[in-house]
Amino acid sequence: MSKRHSILPPAPSGPRPPTHLSPTLTISDSAVLTGTHSITLHGETVIHPRARLDSLAGRLTVGRRCVVHERATIGAVGASGRIVEAAVTVGDYVVVEVGAVIEAGETVVGEGTVVGVGARVGAGAVVGKHCTLTPHSEIAAGEVVPDFTVVYSNGLRRTDKRGVAELKNKGLARQIDVLRRMIPSNPAKFA
Amino acid sequence: MSSRRPPRGEYIETDTGNKVARKATLVGTQNIILGGKTVIQPDVMIRGDLVRTIQPASQSATGAAPNNTAVSIGRYCFLSRGCCLRPPGRLYKGAFTYMPLRIGDHVFVGPASVVQAASIGSHVHIGAKVAIGEFAIVKDYVRILDGTVVPPHMVIPSFSIVAGQPARLIGEVPEGGHEAFELRDLYRTVGNNPQPTPV
Repeated sequence: MSKRHSILPPAPSGPRPPTHLSPTLTISDSAVLTGTHSITLHGETVIHPRARLDSLAGRLTVGRRCVVHERATIGAVGASGRIVEAAVTVGDYVVVEVGAVIEAGETVVGEGTVVGVGARVGAGAVVGKHCTLTPHSEIAAGEVVPDFTVVYSNGLRRTDKRGVAELKNKGLARQIDVLRRMIPSNPAKFA
Repeated sequence: MSSRRPPRGEYIETDTGNKVARKATLVGTQNIILGGKTVIQPDVMIRGDLVRTIQPASQSATGAAPNNTAVSIGRYCFLSRGCCLRPPGRLYKGAFTYMPLRIGDHVFVGPASVVQAASIGSHVHIGAKVAIGEFAIVKDYVRILDGTVVPPHMVIPSFSIVAGQPARLIGEVPEGGHEAFELRDLYRTVGNNPQPTPV
């Protein structure tokens, strides 16, 4: 058997952004950081393989203890394509699940929010704290979503009155503890 | 590097008949079990690295070797372009752990679907852009239509057809309709030497 070739494609040829990575960050080797503006990732955040962070349209900030799952895109250049100061600001304890897209353009995702599988947050949208965007739901560009809102993919919305935000954050911290041991981190590649 | 090597095809075909696209992303391959004759198309992602961290009590007591399988797939499964399989995770006895994802035989997973189920039976057809939530259990002979969102922990009984966001039972597989789930013919139509579709 001849030497097996890598199944991974060659490194993306896009511009390498200036990065500010926390020493406690866990970032997979095959995550993609691209763009021209700065990307800041705070402590204990986990970036899964093949997640994509694009700072072409402006500065990108991801808070503490966030989890960005595979194939999620933060900072996708939307329809407008204009360059702004802070393209995407993601708060602490935010989970961006598989294949979710957060468009660039002064978009804010508040603390403790879960962006579900394949959900889409439009450019300039402001999602409040502890919101839940269920799978395949969409937030229109420029929309403001109040705190504790649950957004369903068929357009329904309700307010989350369970008061489990603290517990959710605790659970997420446990998950991050496990992921940090599981995902081989290579921040040096992006520094 | 010998020059005798045959030209590289789009797929890697294993001895057991699996056809794995070179452009598929399999993370943690040592924890993924393919039963044979399974097709994995390009851009498929399977997270084998998310293994179980807490072993069940019965196993740790007997001192058996830990079972580290994260994803196990049966025979004649078909994973379409862009789909993603990942083991579900939850808090168990105060600590977080992933649990294995088990898939039976003749399971079709449509393009751009995300599967985080606990188990999927045999002869299951999952459409395009379906999201299957964590710890869902899908039994045998189930058809999940395009764009369905299966909520976490849902149990879908055998011979049902589900659709909608969230998924609801909309019908049953008709009498004799279970032959449509066979994937042997589909298996032959992909690979490095694809056969034409039988009419």
